[in-house]
Amino acid sequence: MRKAVAGVAVGLALAVGVPVSWELTRPPATAGTPVAQALEATGPPAPSSSGAAAPAPAVETRDAAPAAVPRAPAPVRVTVPARGVEAPLDPMGVAGDGQMALPGDVGRVGWYRFGPVPGEAGSAVLAGHVDDREQGLGALAPLRTAEAGDEVLVTDDAGTTSRWRVTSRELITKQQLPLDALFSREGPPRLVLVTCGGPFLPEYRSYRDNVVVVAEPLR
Amino acid sequence: MDRTRPIALTAGTAGAFALLFAATPALADSHTATVSVLHGIPDTPVDVYANGERLIDDFAPGTLAGPLELPAGEYDLALYPADAADASGEALLSAMDVAVPAGADATVVAHLTEAGQPALTPFVNDTSAVPAGQARVTVRHTAAAPAVDVRAGGTVVAPGLTNPNEATLTVPAGTITADVTLAGTDTVAIGPADLALAEGTSTIVYAWGSGDAGYELATQTVTGLHSSPSGVPGGSAGLVDDELPLPLVGLSVLGLAGAAVAGRRLVTSRV
Repeated sequence: MRKAVAGVAVGLALAVGVPVSWELTRPPATAGTPVAQALEATGPPAPSSSGAAAPAPAVETRDAAPAAVPRAPAPVRVTVPARGVEAPLDPMGVAGDGQMALPGDVGRVGWYRFGPVPGEAGSAVLAGHVDDREQGLGALAPLRTAEAGDEVLVTDDAGTTSRWRVTSRELITKQQLPLDALFSREGPPRLVLVTCGGPFLPEYRSYRDNVVVVAEPLR
Repeated sequence: MDRTRPIALTAGTAGAFALLFAATPALADSHTATVSVLHGIPDTPVDVYANGERLIDDFAPGTLAGPLELPAGEYDLALYPADAADASGEALLSAMDVAVPAGADATVVAHLTEAGQPALTPFVNDTSAVPAGQARVTVRHTAAAPAVDVRAGGTVVAPGLTNPNEATLTVPAGTITADVTLAGTDTVAIGPADLALAEGTSTIVYAWGSGDAGYELATQTVTGLHSSPSGVPGGSAGLVDDELPLPLVGLSVLGLAGAAVAGRRLVTSRV
């Protein structure tokens, strides 16, 4: 009889304890301030590309002949030393389905080339696949464990490295992703890293959520 | 009302004549309008006056003024030779009571008609959002020339465009090589020129000039029309699935089953 009591106790302990302790050992779904708040935050205005606002004449005129538009150096590498993330960046646009296009190689990360370069006004978006059936884990898979305060380094093709500090990490259901804030081209400079996370939905061969990490410039 | 067919006022038009900006876009909550002015009359530097006040001094052909934020209302516009001291003499070109509605975005173009007469034509600029990854390009015929075809990369994209009309396309962002030919021919009248069509912007291209003075392209860009991508994909293998892993589910179920078996034994042994 004592054996039976012990059996019930051990069985129940297993049944309840396994999922509970698994849940407790997972990194929490969020860290730092909520993403929406981090992206709203106002800071010093971004350096305007047109330079200091000179006391303009009554009306500005300019030569209207077609001219080439200069572009800031593109980012080519991102690293998050504390999480072991290090990946080359590819300039990416929009896929046929309207979503941001990502590099097919999960070891590479896409930079949304239509948005700002890191350091310009608004959100510079870096995104990559979290995994692939053949290739395994993606370069951004460790983002799931990023913590507020983690340093992020971005190097551009002129060799200049900018330093950023993570302010928030959040798991957001894809349907509720604040896309206009994530891809904003206004406001203080932000670095936004995005990959997939949350429960895997085999019927869609896709994850339910996006892992979103927001970083601010480190001075 | 057809937005693509603005009213052209020739220099000879006298008296009060309202240039109505067609179909005002929304944003009626503001009390200002955005107005740009393009000078497309060859060899004729001018001063631009609005309601008798000098608005633009020494305005050279081929230059764009603005965008200006003007209070909504009616304006008397007049162009004088650039060396005129004030607006007391004979205007080269004028348009009275030009209605500038709140929220409108328009470009007033001083240009030549197909017959070579100076004219002031207001065009309404399409400031609606552009899909992510795309760019809008509008081509306006404001040159003293007959109908033209506009080509991008050698392919006709706007056939039979006449003065003072426009054609609008939405295309993938990028640089295109554009030229202008006499309609239905391969006779190149302008270009080719490389046009950088930035994503989420509207590039307005003006063909202006005359056979004598030469034909040119002028460009104007309206920014901030971009849209966000519809989402970010990100994985397809389930390697970092955030659900309780199957072996652990099994272990938990095993515990439950064990407890049930032991419990049953406990109950039966008591009876």
